[in-house]
Amino acid sequence: MISRKLREEIDADPELGVIYREAQTALESAADPGDIESVRVSFLGRKGRLSALLQGIKDLSPEERRRVGRLGNNLKTWLENSLEKKGDMLRRQELEGTLAGERLDITLPGRYMPFGTRHLLSRIIEEIEDIFIGMGYRVVEGPEVELDYYNFEALNTPDWHPSKSLSDTFYVNVPDGEHSDVLLRTHTSPVQIRVMEKTPPPLYVIAPGKAYRHDVPDATHSPMFHQVEGLAVDEGITLGDLKGTLEHFAKRMFGDDRLVRFRPHFFPFTEPSAEVDVSCNICGGTGCRVCSGTGWLEILGSGMVDPNVFEYVGYDSEAISGFAFGMGVERIALLKYGVPDIRYFFDNDLRLLGQY
Amino acid sequence: MRVSLEWLAEYVDLVKSPQELADLLTGSGTAVDGIEVLGGEYEAFIVGRVVDVSSHPGADRLTVCRVDLGGEVADIVCGAPNVRVGAVSPVALPGAKLPDGSVISETSIRGVTSRGMLLSERELGISEEAAGIMLLEEGAQAGDKLVDALGMRDTVLELEITPNRPDCLSMMGIAREVAALTGEKTRWPRCELREEGCPAEHDVRVEIVDGDLCSRYAARVIDRLEMGNSPWWMRRRLRAAGIRPISNVVDVTNYVMLELGQPLHAFDYDLVREGHIIVRRAASGERITTLDGVERSLTTEDLLICDPGGPIALAGVMGGEHTEVGEGTTKVLLESAHFDPANTMRTARTHELPSEASYRFERGVDPGGCVRAADRAAYLMQELGRGVVEPGVVDVRARVIRPIRLELRVKHAAGLIGISLRGEDVAALLRSIALDVLEIKEDGDETTIGVEAPTFRPDLVREIDLVEEVARLYGYDRIPATLPRSSHNVGHLTQEQKTRREIAGVMAGIGLHEAITLAFISQRWLDTLDPERKYLPSELASLRNPISVETAIMRPSLLPGMLEAVGFNLNRRMTDIHLFEIGRVFRPLRGDKLPAEPLMLGCALAGRWLPKQWDREEEEVDFFTCKGILERLLQSLHITDWDLRRERMPFLHPARSCAVGIGGADAGYLGMIHPRVAAEASLPENIAVLELDMARLTSVAQSLIPYQEIPRYPSIQMDLAMVVAEEVDSQDVEGVIREVGGDLLRDVRLFDLYRGRQLGVSEKSLAYSLSFYAMDRTLRDEEARSVYDDIVSALAQRCGARLRA
Ligand SMILES: [Zn+2]
Repeated sequence: MISRKLREEIDADPELGVIYREAQTALESAADPGDIESVRVSFLGRKGRLSALLQGIKDLSPEERRRVGRLGNNLKTWLENSLEKKGDMLRRQELEGTLAGERLDITLPGRYMPFGTRHLLSRIIEEIEDIFIGMGYRVVEGPEVELDYYNFEALNTPDWHPSKSLSDTFYVNVPDGEHSDVLLRTHTSPVQIRVMEKTPPPLYVIAPGKAYRHDVPDATHSPMFHQVEGLAVDEGITLGDLKGTLEHFAKRMFGDDRLVRFRPHFFPFTEPSAEVDVSCNICGGTGCRVCSGTGWLEILGSGMVDPNVFEYVGYDSEAISGFAFGMGVERIALLKYGVPDIRYFFDNDLRLLGQY
Repeated sequence: MRVSLEWLAEYVDLVKSPQELADLLTGSGTAVDGIEVLGGEYEAFIVGRVVDVSSHPGADRLTVCRVDLGGEVADIVCGAPNVRVGAVSPVALPGAKLPDGSVISETSIRGVTSRGMLLSERELGISEEAAGIMLLEEGAQAGDKLVDALGMRDTVLELEITPNRPDCLSMMGIAREVAALTGEKTRWPRCELREEGCPAEHDVRVEIVDGDLCSRYAARVIDRLEMGNSPWWMRRRLRAAGIRPISNVVDVTNYVMLELGQPLHAFDYDLVREGHIIVRRAASGERITTLDGVERSLTTEDLLICDPGGPIALAGVMGGEHTEVGEGTTKVLLESAHFDPANTMRTARTHELPSEASYRFERGVDPGGCVRAADRAAYLMQELGRGVVEPGVVDVRARVIRPIRLELRVKHAAGLIGISLRGEDVAALLRSIALDVLEIKEDGDETTIGVEAPTFRPDLVREIDLVEEVARLYGYDRIPATLPRSSHNVGHLTQEQKTRREIAGVMAGIGLHEAITLAFISQRWLDTLDPERKYLPSELASLRNPISVETAIMRPSLLPGMLEAVGFNLNRRMTDIHLFEIGRVFRPLRGDKLPAEPLMLGCALAGRWLPKQWDREEEEVDFFTCKGILERLLQSLHITDWDLRRERMPFLHPARSCAVGIGGADAGYLGMIHPRVAAEASLPENIAVLELDMARLTSVAQSLIPYQEIPRYPSIQMDLAMVVAEEVDSQDVEGVIREVGGDLLRDVRLFDLYRGRQLGVSEKSLAYSLSFYAMDRTLRDEEARSVYDDIVSALAQRCGARLRA
């Protein structure tokens, strides 16, 4: 840009002033890159008016030569910059004009990209894992074909317990001889025993996996399903810790606005035991069909590890305590996503898989 | 268990609303699954008194009754034989809806207008009694609402009783809980016996042979009974509890069972031979015909009640037909016994005879409560059946089950629960549920409470059982929610777990949907996939008790489940199917009870990989789609050490398949399914499958990728087209190119495969794009050209290749 003071000086000069004003007018009226070129030639070309004027200063007095030289060179710089700027602008305009003339049907579908998904149950299992990893837990596993000892006995379940019957538990024949104590685990709880057998406390683990029960499939039963087991054993673990842990989990999983309720219950391998409910999101707690009018949805079972269980794995129940919990992944999916039928999870219907 | 609040109020004052009561019970461990308000369905009916009866002019069997409805009198036509002047009966007026759904209207019956209907019990839906109109007991006033006259307004709580609380399977047990929760006191029901006649012990002898299964057997005898219906209040309460009234004697046994939790059985005394009860195990093959008319064959596991002539009841489960109480019964032998829980359960399950009685014995009845229940039932028979109770109880005990003494350390309990507790408060909580607090010992800062647990609480045998009682009575909602204070816990996934997640993510990212299929398959699949058992293990883990033969085998491979999922979707008209699954398969191990459970990655593709688009042709799934997925997966995991081998898999197309090796070991297979498999499984042939051992992938996957220098000098691109015989594999050609190309050859990519007229019959041309560069200088054309020439001559020598003209 040219400074104001300089412009006034140029303006006041009889010859430079005329060139300056005419150059301005020519620049303003230039409408395409060709016009810019003609303006350049007529002022700055070898025979251009400004060039001619600058060539003529050698005939002036030294003082005048310096003045006109300074003003003339400034005017030249200004004109070169202005031409370039305006030229760029006009070239851009010209390009835009050409491109805008094209028409594309932007409503045609985009090129097909293969689309894949994770299974809803896998996603929920990972979500649960991540919540507990965030609270300091590790993820462990155990076998799906289990021994009675781990599935029942060491979990304080007496031999005559009805859940051990052929109508509740799948028993497994293995080629290697007759065994009546090989079964499909009915819950992920045997992993508790396996982990405690191998690892001294403290212990903070969750164990996701498949479990099996002798249920004929219907909307709420499947002979195969998924659970996530949790176990924390340490010095001074309390029922209050269980409450705080599961409350945190329930709010992460279902939302901060949901209420969480702990009810005393009974499980063979925990004491005291608790069932955990979250407030029903469908009716907001006033009672509806989904929550059987109670306003609460049961999400998991839990409790303090029974001293008998510690005895089985050789832990000293006077020195440490612990809590355990187990939740059905399908149930959580049913509640969180409103999937109406547990069988849908194992049909692998692409119209369902593709939704998640 | 269904608990009528009207009934419950007999034993404890109910100072809370039904909802408040439900919340208290739920909060203390007795979950309330539902609250049912009774009586509403009877709102439309009123009480009428028949003031005149005349015969119907047009029909012999009908009468026209003038019925006082409390101020108003209406003519009602009635066909019941028991209608008479003075009868007080339920009336349905026009507009009222009966339980069967029919609506009463004013109708003309053979010329006489009937303004309503006198109702039988069956029409009211309260029993099967249809022989005549229901006659109401004294006190019912004409014009009253029927619900009020019958006391049918009631609220029933549906309770879920946990298996550790058999005592709560009774009204008295629930009353105790309610009393503890509301600070009220329980009341025992009336039991004022007027014993007379011959002492019971003269009439009855009880002999317990197998005392391990029956610790106690108490019997009473009630004589001169008049069989009949129970009074309305008892029938109403039984019905509210879900039990069908039968006769006064049977109803009393059921009523007292519900009231006190002790199952009772009434034998017709005159049919019990010599009045001699023998409690013993059955002989193998011994038979009894139970009350339901079924003859059952027994084993030595079953416990029997016998008389000298043989079995008369399946102990704790069901009575025998022979000694059943019936219309002609006048003398009853009442049994109140304690049977072994596990054994009762076994018998009830074996004979598929679950009953209210067996349910209670299975969970454990109060061995200390037998006589009290017998007394109460005898009293009710005395009152309701006009019976005469013979003096004394014949009470035989094989062994005595005494209350257990327990100690609770208050600090221990408080520490486990996470609250602070005072000894006195703990003692008060324990007293509130009828525990006998024997002492409170103070020793320094440790307080120990000694208690005696009543025999109706068989669940209280250890200190921890008392901790649980304290916690639930204190209230879970009052326990502060905290987090473990430990600093030991650091949460993380193992590298293997991270890689597994990555594999699933890559597969979904490529464009496959994750499936989860059932882990048990049909034997048929094995015969289809591998009839001669060449690939799959010859012996598999199977279910001893499968739900069906379709789900009897623990899968040795993910393939059957994946193919079933493909079929499921094809049947629903979905044509392009891209599935993967990560799951365990089961392979028995010699010398181990438990099979190996390797985690596998399976993949099945059918139909098109890419659909036809508006400017592109469609792309069918084939071997190379699947191979592309494998390559992409391995690339993501930075696995470079892998290879494919031609190997026959019985379920794969013999030419279009291969085995996959990773890190030098077998990792699985890849290929198109065998046309024979497709035909047998009713699937299209065009299905590509892949199955890999996840452990191979996760163990060889590189998680730490070292930095490789980025080339700074320009590369030289050259194309190389070689003609080779058809049987030469491109991999071998590429191998030679890479080997000879050495350090300067940085990349080789096959970009064309040509067969055709310009070549010989069994020839093909492979065209590669080669990329040469050096890391330390700008490569000269001559250098690249010289390597290129070496490659060409090596290919000529080793692969019989010639440069394509
Ligand atoms: Zn609801």
